[in-house]
Amino acid sequence: MATTVENPRPKAAKPKPHLEPDLCKGCLRCIESCNHHCLMPGHEIDPRTGLIPIEVNLENCTACGLCFDACPEPYGLRPEIPEGQPEFVRPEDADHLKRPPRPKPQDVPDALRELPSGATLVLKGNHAAALGALLAGCRHFYGYPITPSTEGAELLARLLPKLGGVFLQAVSEVATVNHMYGTAGAGKRTMTFTSSPGFSLMLEGVSYMIGAELPGVFVNVMRGGPGLGNIAPEQADIKLACRGLGHGNTHAIAFAPSTPQEMLDLTRLAFDLSFAYRNPVVILADGYLGQMTGRVELPKALTQPGLPKWAVSGDASHRDNLISSIFLAEADLEAHNRHLDDKYARMAREARSERWQCDDAEVVIVACNTPARMARGAVAELRQRGVKAGLFRPITLWPFPIDALAEALSGASRLVIAEASSGQLEDEVRLAASHAGLALPPIAAVRHSGGVLPQQDEIVAGALAALAREASATAAPRPAAPCDCSDPDCGCGDEE
Amino acid sequence: MATQAAFYERFERHAGGVGLKGTSTHYCPGCGHGLAHKYIAETLGELGIADRTVTVSPVGCSVFLYYYLDTGNTQAAHGRAPAVAIGHKLANPESIVISYQGDGDLASIGLAEIMGAAQTGIPISVIFVNNAIYGMTGGQLAPTSLVGQKTATSPYGRGHLEGLPLKMAELIAQMDAPVYVERVALFDAKNRVKAKKAIKKGIKAQVDRKGFTFVEVLAECPTHLGVTPPEAEKWVKEMMLPVYPLGVKKDLLAERDWGTLPAPTFEPAEVAAVVGAGAEAPQRFAQGFPQTAWGDDIALKLAGSGGDGAQTAALLLARAAIHEGFDATHIPSYGPESRGGTSYADVHVAAHEVGSPAAPKPHVLIAFNGPSLTKFGPAVAPGGVLLHDTSVAGEVPAVADGVRVVGVPFTKIAAELGYPITKSIVALGALAGATNLLPKESFLTAIRVQLGGKKASLLAVNEAAFAAGFEAAQPAN
Repeated sequence: MATTVENPRPKAAKPKPHLEPDLCKGCLRCIESCNHHCLMPGHEIDPRTGLIPIEVNLENCTACGLCFDACPEPYGLRPEIPEGQPEFVRPEDADHLKRPPRPKPQDVPDALRELPSGATLVLKGNHAAALGALLAGCRHFYGYPITPSTEGAELLARLLPKLGGVFLQAVSEVATVNHMYGTAGAGKRTMTFTSSPGFSLMLEGVSYMIGAELPGVFVNVMRGGPGLGNIAPEQADIKLACRGLGHGNTHAIAFAPSTPQEMLDLTRLAFDLSFAYRNPVVILADGYLGQMTGRVELPKALTQPGLPKWAVSGDASHRDNLISSIFLAEADLEAHNRHLDDKYARMAREARSERWQCDDAEVVIVACNTPARMARGAVAELRQRGVKAGLFRPITLWPFPIDALAEALSGASRLVIAEASSGQLEDEVRLAASHAGLALPPIAAVRHSGGVLPQQDEIVAGALAALAREASATAAPRPAAPCDCSDPDCGCGDEE
Repeated sequence: MATQAAFYERFERHAGGVGLKGTSTHYCPGCGHGLAHKYIAETLGELGIADRTVTVSPVGCSVFLYYYLDTGNTQAAHGRAPAVAIGHKLANPESIVISYQGDGDLASIGLAEIMGAAQTGIPISVIFVNNAIYGMTGGQLAPTSLVGQKTATSPYGRGHLEGLPLKMAELIAQMDAPVYVERVALFDAKNRVKAKKAIKKGIKAQVDRKGFTFVEVLAECPTHLGVTPPEAEKWVKEMMLPVYPLGVKKDLLAERDWGTLPAPTFEPAEVAAVVGAGAEAPQRFAQGFPQTAWGDDIALKLAGSGGDGAQTAALLLARAAIHEGFDATHIPSYGPESRGGTSYADVHVAAHEVGSPAAPKPHVLIAFNGPSLTKFGPAVAPGGVLLHDTSVAGEVPAVADGVRVVGVPFTKIAAELGYPITKSIVALGALAGATNLLPKESFLTAIRVQLGGKKASLLAVNEAAFAAGFEAAQPAN
């Protein structure tokens, strides 16, 4: 048997609607919502908007509230201020109704915490980079499996859960970079392992990260291309990392490690620089280096990351923050690009390189990644044969360490560039030299691609041939008439 | 309204918030987005969660959601909002993450991302506004456009090549992971009440850690339908509803619990244990770098088929050398097959830093099979050592001057021990026996370290295999 229960609390008086006509676009959604015909289509154009607002007559209003839910404008139909309270004011004038000011976000700095020292580790390059990420305080990994980078992801899949971290295998490289965008937007350290075709897919997101000034570390263990290519080592993504990080005005520091130790050290450094500049950092490794096992010393400390004040981290103090790459007004976008240009210019100080036996070198070999080790062997062999050879190893490919190269070349008459690509490293050398106004000695190229690396004996032969050409060019009588060939090594254009 | 909706008091990001733009949206009259925004803003106010909410804006007309919604805001690339939302959620599991998308963004370019996000079940709240047309780019065909619908890119009506309307709510609901899926509409008061309820339910589910939720909102785009706002409402009701039936498609809120994530740790002791820092250094046995005729950077090649253990032996060799304080590298090279293909390993042991890690002309070759013997035997450097398995077929090829050829039946010895798998350890023993590269104890220590505590029972077997290989390679034999 049904019983009637008295409502213990009388309902508070419901407010009736109030409308500022210039905030009404006249969509008429509210008309149907009102059963008492309080709201009617209007007839007069509001000169402030050029739109026709509805007309309101609240004589029969029962304060049912349905019209509030019908109005799509945040400050369109709004509850009227009940009698006895301050009269209705437009939101922009409602100083006395404003929310209390929010706590301002502050930068929480990173902390270094001491690690126990111990035995030298024996690690493959991909594993070393993964440990570098953990020691840099990265606890969020996103990635898609791709040979020859996958061991890095597999190791983190095992280790991250033990550190309360997140390992998520994404549905694609596109999803990967966007997971990174979200986590980086929250101010956290995040990374991925990928290889060339996967890196191509990520470039859209990399451009967005650069535009939105988000940090993140991309370890690209380069393999053979174009297309599916193969899974053997190449260095043919230098162009992508240095010149082609998606659309727009993009750059990122690009490291080229050559040992498992550097895979760890540079990955760790990459996180710091990525946050220091609010920009992605790329580690360009090659398939050999990823798979190569070698000795690795761990650092003396690990990083406990702080939290930058710009983060959108889901709390009150960061609530006003926005991560975005949109600048709708032309002047705003140009100003943003100038800001990025300034940042890129500041990154020049991050140029790093190694010079080995260059002080008295007549022939300098430029190489990076695993080919730099072949080149090191070649320099040792050439020195044994009495040839003054030196190695210049760029550790950053962008920014290119052009000042250091200029010093390395001070006594050299020949430059040999050894690389596993069809001239992408050489292009970076030439471009950097051109911008710096540095005249390069004649260049001899030792190139392979498709997964073949330039070997020590080929680099030795390349250096000897380059020196021999120089000797014969010096000995040969100058041509009577200028020769018009385009061979840069011909010597016809040399002014003595 | 009992609570304040989570809209900014002034839309500073909307052209600087000057004049009318400071208090009104950029949407056309009759657009459905404003209502969806409002229901989200009211929900956040009512649940008191605006402080910890992060909203992901899409690309499309609602790209400027962050002008209005007073939450943490992130603007994503076209179609990628759910992937970005997951990145935010996993970074801060206590935050409430809302992914807001239109039909081009979610159902066309972002189809992979929404499906991927939904199948993870990670608790984010997706609000999908379906108005059957592209708005921002100017009225082109959407995957949700109706059959025969004329748009800027289907001027003769959605036809043969454009396929059939994509029903996202049904598609998401049939996946196992999502916990709540509903389709609602905005065209009359009754449906608006349901829409508001559904949006609140989807967001509340995240507060309650239930899982992934998806609310599809059928909305009006009078501008690109070329009709008045009331006509657009009628169009949604009469034309869209038969194709996109409203209602709850899935509700597992009562039975599902996604749970929580642990907090990351940066405690040095815990990290050290995980990365292997602070491990005790193994004992050293070598008296300086090995005295051989091969200089201070010794190259070795181990070659066989997958499964021979060439990589295992190479890794142990590199490990032993590194334990002794030398530099060493190991590079594997496999055929495309997982098992049974070629498997070569190049190893260098150097007094200082290894130069080229490749071994095209090795000082020492360990050949596990006939083809490897034939292929690499002639490449062994003059004065080098060629070790090969005499229990498998293969002719010793012509070798360079002074190359010492040592045959040891790796496979036979390992089989006699009852552990054919220890063939590579026999080979390592033979290497130690035939050269003075490293002391016996160096190898045995590397084997012990590699086995760790886990396979201690195998240690005796491996030690026996090593000893047998060592004996068999003694010059006296």
